[in-house]
Amino acid sequence: MPVLELRNVSKTYNNTTRALHDVSVTVEEGEFVSIIGPSGAGKSTLLRSVNRLVDATRGVVILDGQDITRVRGKELRRVRTKTGMIFQHYNLVNRLSVMENVLHGRLGHKSTFSGALGLYTEREKEQAFFILERLGLTEQAYKRCDELSGGQKQRVGIARALMQEPKLILCDEPIASLDPNASKIIMDYLRDINKTMKITCLLNLHQVDVAIKYSERIIGLTAGRVTYDGPAQKLDKKTIYEIYQSNEGELITDMKE
Amino acid sequence: MNESAAAPKSALSFEVQRQVRKSLTGRIKTGAVSRSGMAVKVTVMVLLALSLLAFFTFDYKDIDFADAVRGTLTNAATLFAEPRLKYSTATAVLYQLFVTFCLGILSTILGAVIAFFGALLCARNISDPRVSAVVKSVVAFVRAVPTILWVLIFAVTAGLGSVAAVSGLTFHSAGYLIKAYAESIEEMDYGTIEALKASGAGFWQIVFQAVLPSSISYMLAWTFMRFEINFTNAIAMGAAAGAGGIGYNLFMAGYFYFDLHEMGYLTYVIVLAVILLETAATKIKAKVK
Ligand SMILES: Nc1ncnc2c1ncn2[C@@H]1O[C@H](COP(=O)(O)OP(=O)(O)OP(=O)(O)O)[C@@H](O)[C@H]1O
Ligand SMILES: [Mg+2]
Repeated sequence: MPVLELRNVSKTYNNTTRALHDVSVTVEEGEFVSIIGPSGAGKSTLLRSVNRLVDATRGVVILDGQDITRVRGKELRRVRTKTGMIFQHYNLVNRLSVMENVLHGRLGHKSTFSGALGLYTEREKEQAFFILERLGLTEQAYKRCDELSGGQKQRVGIARALMQEPKLILCDEPIASLDPNASKIIMDYLRDINKTMKITCLLNLHQVDVAIKYSERIIGLTAGRVTYDGPAQKLDKKTIYEIYQSNEGELITDMKE
Repeated sequence: MNESAAAPKSALSFEVQRQVRKSLTGRIKTGAVSRSGMAVKVTVMVLLALSLLAFFTFDYKDIDFADAVRGTLTNAATLFAEPRLKYSTATAVLYQLFVTFCLGILSTILGAVIAFFGALLCARNISDPRVSAVVKSVVAFVRAVPTILWVLIFAVTAGLGSVAAVSGLTFHSAGYLIKAYAESIEEMDYGTIEALKASGAGFWQIVFQAVLPSSISYMLAWTFMRFEINFTNAIAMGAAAGAGGIGYNLFMAGYFYFDLHEMGYLTYVIVLAVILLETAATKIKAKVK
């Protein structure tokens, strides 16, 4: 059974900007999929329609076998616990400690009261430490998040997502604000999580070479339409130019050869 | 070696010259184009003209200017150089100061509690835009009416006294703090709110786990600032609305006993208290990061 299925999803913002146009995508359990495409192609919109930060104008979103296109209220909160999200700008609460931020991943599972007051069980706290150790952040556990480097912040972001025990992790340009070194560390962690914990990963990436290196499958998005969907190895230069609607020699990736 | 790269090689072309903005002295401007600079200048000029006009057209009756200045100076000297209590004792004055202090605290705390919930409705990044717009305009109205007027309005039902004073002060404080709190909340990065939303967190969880930790220090700073305002307002209310406290003593000394010595004493006590408050507030503000 696929973890995620988008059926003919379209999204139009304010009745004018067409961000997605009849997009159909299926992601199987355990896959590592990257979405590439030019700025404004609708990559973020696609990812956000999965956890309903954006509501599709048309089409159906099926997560873990459940049609979530129109769920609301409590049920929406429950559905959202199944998908972790990682952001370009980390989106942590900077004034709180690393531990507190990681534990935020549990909020969706908790009652309004205990969540609001931050009353976590010992088991949850132990689990947080377990995840922090895995991401090499044990020593940072009690630091405030604004004392961390970008790479460390992003690892806290991953830890927070893992705390949800998600089926699927969505990453919206997880390495766009990081240097090559930190980028590699983050990508390696994501791959590790995908392989050992069997959590499906769906990423937006701007770096085509990184996408090809790490993913099994790549989805090319151009002006709101899927223009490529297949194995990473089969993505040839010509297709890349088509996805980015540019001519040979114009892309920055060309400079490497 | 090249010459300095910044040195112009030749004169600017005609097309570029047309775009360059210069000041009156012929130097090239660098600031953004704006109309507000002009507006400020015009406003200042108009205000200046009005002030001069008023000064020269007052009906001074037959006040002798030199006499008036001399009289004022003598009174000021009595007021500030010979402070002395006659109608009350130092302990009584301190007690009245404490009463005023309590009026200020009470109205600030009540106002802050109301403002916290009001701000949640008012901050655009967590509230519905329509609700936010409505709350914002109501609050703007509350703030536009001066505190003393609110006190008088409450006095219609509660009668002049401390109840009306606290109600009026609270009301205006709430209006002031809703705006301040909402702006503190709006400072916050929307991405953080969205991240928690995406993980399934509910509204109150987001408020207490993300919004409050991010903006609490600004909120506290604003609250202290409002407390200082409320303290001075409470003095005025003591005099004007019979709310008690040191303001009432001041009123009695000035209006009934016409005792400049006692007024001087009270003024010194108040100034000292305000300075102490100000220092404490600065210290506390420095502590919360
Ligand atoms: N909240 C919004 N309101 C209105 N229009 C939006 C909104 N979000 C995105 N859009 C528009 O939808 C289109 C797709 O945007 P989206 O952010 O999904 O692109 P993207 O592929 O993620 O781009 P980038 O690579 O720059 O992040 C763009 O034209 C954008 O201007
Ligand atoms: Mg994007």
